[in-house]
Amino acid sequence: MAEVRVTIDGKECIAQEGETLLNIARANGIYIPAICYLNRCSPTLACRLCLVEADGKQVYACNAKAKDGMNVVTTTENIAKERRAIMEVYDVNHPLECGICDQSGECELQNYTLLENVTEQHYAIRDTYKPVKNWGHIQYDPALCIVCEKCVTVCKDMIGDTALKTVPRGGDPLDKSYKEVMPKDAYAMWNKLNKSLIGTTTGETLDCTSCGECTAVCPVGALVGTDFKWSSNAWELQKIPSTCAHCSVGCQIYYEVKHISIENNDKKIYRVTNEPHFATLCGAGRYGYDFENRGAKKEPKSLEKAVQALKSAKTIVFNSQITNEEALILQKLKEKLGLKLVNPEAYQYKEFLSVYSKISGKSLYSGDLNTVRKSNFVISVGSALKTDSPNSRYAFNNAIKMNKGAGIYFHPVKDPIIDGLSKNVIQINHQPYEEIEALKWILIQFGKDIPETISAKLDISQFQEKYLGEDFQTKLEKLLKKKDKFSLIVGADLYGAKNWQDIAEVVGLIDLYTDFSVVIIPSDTNTLGVIQICELDRSGEAPRVGYNEKGDFTFSALGDGDFDIPALNQQEGTFVNIDKRVVPLNVALPYGGYTLNDVANEILDNPKQWTIDYTSELFKKVDFDSLPNEFLNSGEENRGYILDIDEVEREEPTFHLANNEPPKLGSSVIYLANPVLQFNRFTNKAHQLSESGGLYISPEYSEKFGIKEGQLVRIATKYGSLKTKAIVDNKIVGEICYLPTFDKHLNARKLFDSYRFIQAKISKV
Amino acid sequence: MDLGIFIFQTLIKILLVLLIFSALAGFTTYIERKVLAFMQRRLGPMYVGPFGLLQILADGIKLFTKEDIIPTNAIKPIFKVAPVILPVSAFVAFTGVPILPDIQIGDTTFQFLIVDSDVGVLFVLGVMAVGMFSPLLAGIASSNKWSLLGGARTAIQLLSFEVVTGLSILAPLMLVGSLNLIDINNYQIEHGWLIWQQPIAFVLFLIAGYAETNRTPFDLLEHEAEVVSGYATEYSGMRWGLFFIGEYVNMYIVSFLVVLIFLGGFGEGTLLDGLCYLAKVLFFIFLFLWTRAAWPHVRPDQLMWLTWKVLMPLAVINIVVTGLLVI
Amino acid sequence: MNKEVIKGSQNYIPVEIEDYPTTGWQKFKQVVRRSLGKELFVGLWVVLREMLKFNIHTVQYPEEVLPLPSRYRAVHKLLRLLESGNERCIGCGLCEKICIADCIRMETKEENGRKVVSEYSINLGRCIFCGYCAEVCPELAIVHGSRYENASEQRAHFVLKDDMLTPIDFLKEQKEFDGFGAVSPNADKLIKKTPLAY
Ligand code: SF4
Ligand code: SF4
Ligand code: SF4
Ligand code: SF4
Ligand code: SF4
Ligand code: FES
Repeated sequence: MAEVRVTIDGKECIAQEGETLLNIARANGIYIPAICYLNRCSPTLACRLCLVEADGKQVYACNAKAKDGMNVVTTTENIAKERRAIMEVYDVNHPLECGICDQSGECELQNYTLLENVTEQHYAIRDTYKPVKNWGHIQYDPALCIVCEKCVTVCKDMIGDTALKTVPRGGDPLDKSYKEVMPKDAYAMWNKLNKSLIGTTTGETLDCTSCGECTAVCPVGALVGTDFKWSSNAWELQKIPSTCAHCSVGCQIYYEVKHISIENNDKKIYRVTNEPHFATLCGAGRYGYDFENRGAKKEPKSLEKAVQALKSAKTIVFNSQITNEEALILQKLKEKLGLKLVNPEAYQYKEFLSVYSKISGKSLYSGDLNTVRKSNFVISVGSALKTDSPNSRYAFNNAIKMNKGAGIYFHPVKDPIIDGLSKNVIQINHQPYEEIEALKWILIQFGKDIPETISAKLDISQFQEKYLGEDFQTKLEKLLKKKDKFSLIVGADLYGAKNWQDIAEVVGLIDLYTDFSVVIIPSDTNTLGVIQICELDRSGEAPRVGYNEKGDFTFSALGDGDFDIPALNQQEGTFVNIDKRVVPLNVALPYGGYTLNDVANEILDNPKQWTIDYTSELFKKVDFDSLPNEFLNSGEENRGYILDIDEVEREEPTFHLANNEPPKLGSSVIYLANPVLQFNRFTNKAHQLSESGGLYISPEYSEKFGIKEGQLVRIATKYGSLKTKAIVDNKIVGEICYLPTFDKHLNARKLFDSYRFIQAKISKV
Repeated sequence: MDLGIFIFQTLIKILLVLLIFSALAGFTTYIERKVLAFMQRRLGPMYVGPFGLLQILADGIKLFTKEDIIPTNAIKPIFKVAPVILPVSAFVAFTGVPILPDIQIGDTTFQFLIVDSDVGVLFVLGVMAVGMFSPLLAGIASSNKWSLLGGARTAIQLLSFEVVTGLSILAPLMLVGSLNLIDINNYQIEHGWLIWQQPIAFVLFLIAGYAETNRTPFDLLEHEAEVVSGYATEYSGMRWGLFFIGEYVNMYIVSFLVVLIFLGGFGEGTLLDGLCYLAKVLFFIFLFLWTRAAWPHVRPDQLMWLTWKVLMPLAVINIVVTGLLVI
Repeated sequence: MNKEVIKGSQNYIPVEIEDYPTTGWQKFKQVVRRSLGKELFVGLWVVLREMLKFNIHTVQYPEEVLPLPSRYRAVHKLLRLLESGNERCIGCGLCEKICIADCIRMETKEENGRKVVSEYSINLGRCIFCGYCAEVCPELAIVHGSRYENASEQRAHFVLKDDMLTPIDFLKEQKEFDGFGAVSPNADKLIKKTPLAY
């Protein structure tokens, strides 16, 4: 993209073509007032405060694209008048509730009112009655709403739920005489403001994926979290920058902590916030924060027992909800004690990635979520994107919304949310085991200069016939117009498939022969870190020590094992996230017990005082304390460091299973996945997200088989059976049901092999 | 008169004097506090009993039950004995003071005087002066610099005022020609109150009496702004209480003497006279309190200056003039 | 009563101080003047006069207390609205924020669509009675009361919400607070009017 030069208030700024004046100004430290603009989303043009004069013409800085040689003045006499009038308008009938408003002073309306020095009010209109709406996790107080439409925008452009919209306000029209006396933009802005409020697109209540991002973007206290409402003032909360521990995206978050109560001085997390201009959270990150292991104590006896257990163990079983430092300690223990390290999920991912590397010649996958966001054609294969990796869905959606993009979503379970993203998204619900066909189709469709030996093996006629008929072809043609940046997201369904090797090879080939940049979603929080640090074993024999997994001796951050370890909001450490970035997490809550490092110090030769003393032994020799965790004004992500992609010696694909018939599955198929807001036992421990799992069925399924919400069902596969209650989930469509992993009382994994789909028999009890 | 009855009567009288005047001493502290308070626009003790009347009782209980502390370095026997001297001398002195005129009931005459001595005045003044040993010894024995200073001041006082006391009443005695207090009283029935003939002697004797009893403005032995509590600094409990009783009994003696010698005493001894007598005595007690409320106290040097350079010459002149007149 | 004092505090009376006597004769004259002159007797007269007038100034403290000025700053009170009896405190937390001794702590929550203060405490052992809390309170909810008897067995001496809040049965006795932090009498003049369209 071409570089342009613009002068803003006499300062020469260099920017990319197509950037907005507001963003250029912000990146260069020039101040332009703006309430309604949200970075990475389309401008709502509601507030009109960002008025500037560009080459003598008044434009809205959040909307105006920079042109080379442009000369911008941020304030003129007229603009100042407009801004002052706009702020007066915003204050018309705004309740004097700042004292109890949850914004507690961090309010843009307050800020701009003071900035514009609004000491008098010249405008008036009769107020309307607007009761507070309770929308579940969120509450909406229309009286406080200034209709900046940021919430609507973020839900549409970023999240993709499009659960909010503007609705008519009712009430009197503006007094006509204002038209003459008021500045033009202020009047126009008021006219619009006076006609609308915010409502849901889903009927009376809000039915969305509850990410809470709309509460984060709201500049006033109109949208707030129900649980947090009126529980604390913002200024009392200590903000601790950290990283969300629930999925591999590793969003930057702030834990906001304060004492529990008047008499109890222990800290408690009151809420999690983010910087909505730069990072977007999902509901699990925002509401699933209090999973700490409270009340652990240091008892030398238990330490001794843990050391003993490790010394006599042959295997450590663990998962990837673990920091890099802990993983490194486990690896060192393995080396010292000759243990086996078993982590099936990471093992699969590692194998998959290494095959991909051999084919593509890259040690790590080529893309990340930022490349997805910047692309204009995105394909997702093998991932229940909405729940597996919410931020990948946001990136998918954001790319389509902001870049006039299009996308294809391949997955056996039909997802109404994906359908709702845009009409430029095609959802193809193939059968399980057919993922490879979809990937092959990509390779054929977009591949260039594919050698004969390979293309000969890429027969997808059956698949094409079944799903990619003529309609699809014509639509695809339309969608592909003017598309130049391609992204592929592949997900966890693939890593455990029987033909995972072939799949990995095809993904490698796509990377090699097409313009797609590839993101291979790590299947758990720190899978990408664990596979690079630990030498994993396929299996190991008893006695086993479980690290956050069940073993003969269990280390548990949930507080239900034989030995307590800190939860991920109680320790310092790092993750490698989906963007291949090593990001730090911080201590939000104190922890009183022993850590893995304490145990390891009894065994290893070089004791370290702190777990984070291992940080500099990781990928780069960087101390933990020098890892930044912030976003710069320009939007640049200044968190930790990025891992380099190394060149790997290429090998030719083998395709041993090529063109094998996919096994036929009967009508009843179950899927191993979690519902919205849940990832693991930790999210479920959080008080706002605590629920018990069951068999999640779509409304159609419920109707067709007469299974009602809460009804007990028996699910049997060839590996076993279990009894649980049915839960109707309206965020899926079709006949595939799913079982979750977040509920520790429901051992769903035992019904599955390594693949996430399996044939099952579901019967009412 | 039968000796047995005499002894019995005397013992009863002694007992009465002891009881009445100890009680009066206590009561006077109450009166003093009240009077001082009223003069200073205060209410004084109000909490214990009606109008604070039981305050005396409370004080008594307190004094009796308080720990009796004897400093390690004190000269113990003297320290212990010193406070006893003052009340003992005071009560002994009282034996020479007629408390009321004689009362005739039927055949018997009740004399409200324990020792009717011909040297009554000398006896009373002399025994009273012995009381001054009490602060002196207490001050010296306490092994405390404030006490010592208090003791030293006692010596000054003793030296200065005993002279004035003696000299001041010499002139009236010359007029009366007897040392017997009853005689002095009777003399005034005929010749009118001595105060009219001996105003200077009256004033001098009053001043000396104040000094003798350690009352403001001559309370320099224990002036708390200067020497903490003077000779009494180390005392506590009932030992300290004894000083107190002694001081108040002395106040009564001085009042009685002044009335007897200068203000006509009980005159002819009628009931009215008796009441007047007591009223006059009480007026002087009141005067003690009154001056305490109104006047500042004097410094030791001022005291010395006053006695040696003003009062003594005045007394001497008074004697000389009286002598000349008598002749 | 001393008239000079009543006239105003600026009305000082210069006291004439004569030179100290140096010679014996002068001293003698001074003594005579002071004792036989008026001074001693004026003193006696004054105290006697006061006794007879019996104009007692003693306040018999626990039974009798002096009225406190409304700006006196003693142990806090939480007031109620006079009309409805609702608690005035809206839970804004400004008092907690401004408190210079950091001795206020409160807990708030939502109840029936309102923010309610479920508990409120002041550590009187730390409070310096500066009055900032009363002054910052936008609702005139936390004010200084007149309870100054603070003897306590512990240095940390807490008052909780129930100790400070006007009991609902005593609402009638609650007076509009005009002490420290109250609205200034000319407040109306100081604000600009806003057009209202009702
Ligand atoms: S949103 Fe809240 S803080 Fe902001 S102006 Fe409105 S009431 Fe005040
Ligand atoms: S709810 Fe908040 S974000 Fe949404 S329009 Fe109103 S003020 Fe803006
Ligand atoms: S919570 Fe998230 S999905 Fe729901 S309305 Fe708000 S932004 Fe949209
Ligand atoms: S008076 Fe001052 S120190 Fe005391 S609670 Fe109020 S603000 Fe805090
Ligand atoms: S400042 Fe007043 S209204 Fe606000 S919390 Fe304190 S007492 Fe309540
Ligand atoms: S920020 Fe540009 S119109 Fe609001």
